[in-house]
Amino acid sequence: MEGKIIVVTSGKGGVGKTTATSSIGAALALEGKRVAIVDMDIGLRNLDVVMGLENRIVFNIVDVVQGRCKIDQAAIRDRRIDNLFLIPASQSDNKDVLTTSGVERVCNDLRKKFDYVLMDSPAGIEKGFQNSIVGANEALVVCTPDVSAVRDADRVIGLLYARSLEPRLIVNRIEPSRVERGEMLSHEDVMEVLSIELAGLVPMDEKVLISSNTGTPLVLQNESKAGQAFRRIAKRLNGETDVPIEIPTHKTSMWNKISKTFGLK
Amino acid sequence: MIHFDNPAPVKLKGAGGGFWITIDPSHPEEVLIEEIDKLIKNLKHLAVNADVTLDLGDAKGHEDLIRTIKSHLEKNFELGKISTSPQKRSVPTERIRQRDLSRGWNHHRSDVLMLRGRVRAGQKINARKHLVITGDVNPGAELVAGGDVIILGKLSGDVHAGFPDNDDAIIFSLGFNPSHVRIGARIAAGSDDSQGTAPEYAAVEGAQIVVRDYMKEGPFRRLPWPEAI
Repeated sequence: MEGKIIVVTSGKGGVGKTTATSSIGAALALEGKRVAIVDMDIGLRNLDVVMGLENRIVFNIVDVVQGRCKIDQAAIRDRRIDNLFLIPASQSDNKDVLTTSGVERVCNDLRKKFDYVLMDSPAGIEKGFQNSIVGANEALVVCTPDVSAVRDADRVIGLLYARSLEPRLIVNRIEPSRVERGEMLSHEDVMEVLSIELAGLVPMDEKVLISSNTGTPLVLQNESKAGQAFRRIAKRLNGETDVPIEIPTHKTSMWNKISKTFGLK
Repeated sequence: MIHFDNPAPVKLKGAGGGFWITIDPSHPEEVLIEEIDKLIKNLKHLAVNADVTLDLGDAKGHEDLIRTIKSHLEKNFELGKISTSPQKRSVPTERIRQRDLSRGWNHHRSDVLMLRGRVRAGQKINARKHLVITGDVNPGAELVAGGDVIILGKLSGDVHAGFPDNDDAIIFSLGFNPSHVRIGARIAAGSDDSQGTAPEYAAVEGAQIVVRDYMKEGPFRRLPWPEAI
């Protein structure tokens, strides 16, 4: 059976595409699937850093598309998680070196070799984005709860629909306490504008920064709320239908709870 | 003796809640009054408080006769309102009725572009004439219509009705919260405080665009009959 190519995209930069891609990829590998993570951000590669594999790069995706090496040569096996592979981006080229037909051909090969292929799309909606969605079977749109990210996600969703891809949404970096104070959009507000199927809600988590900098997978940390949220998303992507969408909440102090019970708040 | 070519000077028939008396003014006044008396007396109690319409047909210039008959009836009978037959309807009224009855919209070919679904950021919709969207319009979307813009949903984004210079166009939505509004040559920025929860519409008044509550002051409620646009 052929695998699935899932593109992770957002339109806006810095909303957590790379974190989401590496975490979901790792989580899918932990589910026992053979997973490849492809960095499509040519010229600005950083998925290898996040995954802690930067010093093992020999070939990259540009080499694969241009036929200078085979997929197996470019795919770097993860140290900690079995069945997890990274195909890094090239740092010295720019996004115009890839052709859509070339990427499409490589995508067909990748589908044969892996159960899941996650494409980390660059920010924007230009050539790099077009290249990363050309071979995709599914799409995940990452969005943070702020107005500009929602606007860009909305644009990207329109473009994905135009390519007959039905995107699913990840609302990333939710801060429940700020949502409660009305300082941040709630995931309902985001859903109201974007109105697509929800893949999962991910809370703000300080451990993301640490794990990205040290190159340790977030999903292996049991105490990381974001890591656990990504594991649930991976389970849903893997066809487990009974994984409920957890709405991030913040710990309320005992006193607040008591006040609420007595109607004081 | 029967007068075939000279029908009865006075005829009476029931009409609505009262009686319609047709009078042939070519007969002398006394004869007419006598005939009317006879007819009304025959009605007995039915005539009490009944409205009476005096109809002299097409004949003109018998105001004196009408007045005499009217005062005679008021003096001798307990009738309701006494009036003369209404004049022929004015031409505009007649036209309105004809238009209403002709159902012009049955043969109306429309240029309305009607869409359903969500209009997302970066999507632009151009309509030659009116634009109707059943669905929401997201922030960052752009609508341009030659006529009215009707959104059955939330309206955010930029919207231009009456493109390029039709100031009569309106913009309607169930949740009115656009970032930018243009009607014809007028332009206005959306307000930040609008929550856009009630049906509202924008129209040009004077030289500027105003937004009003559609349920309280709908722009079309005073139109006499439905018209095709």
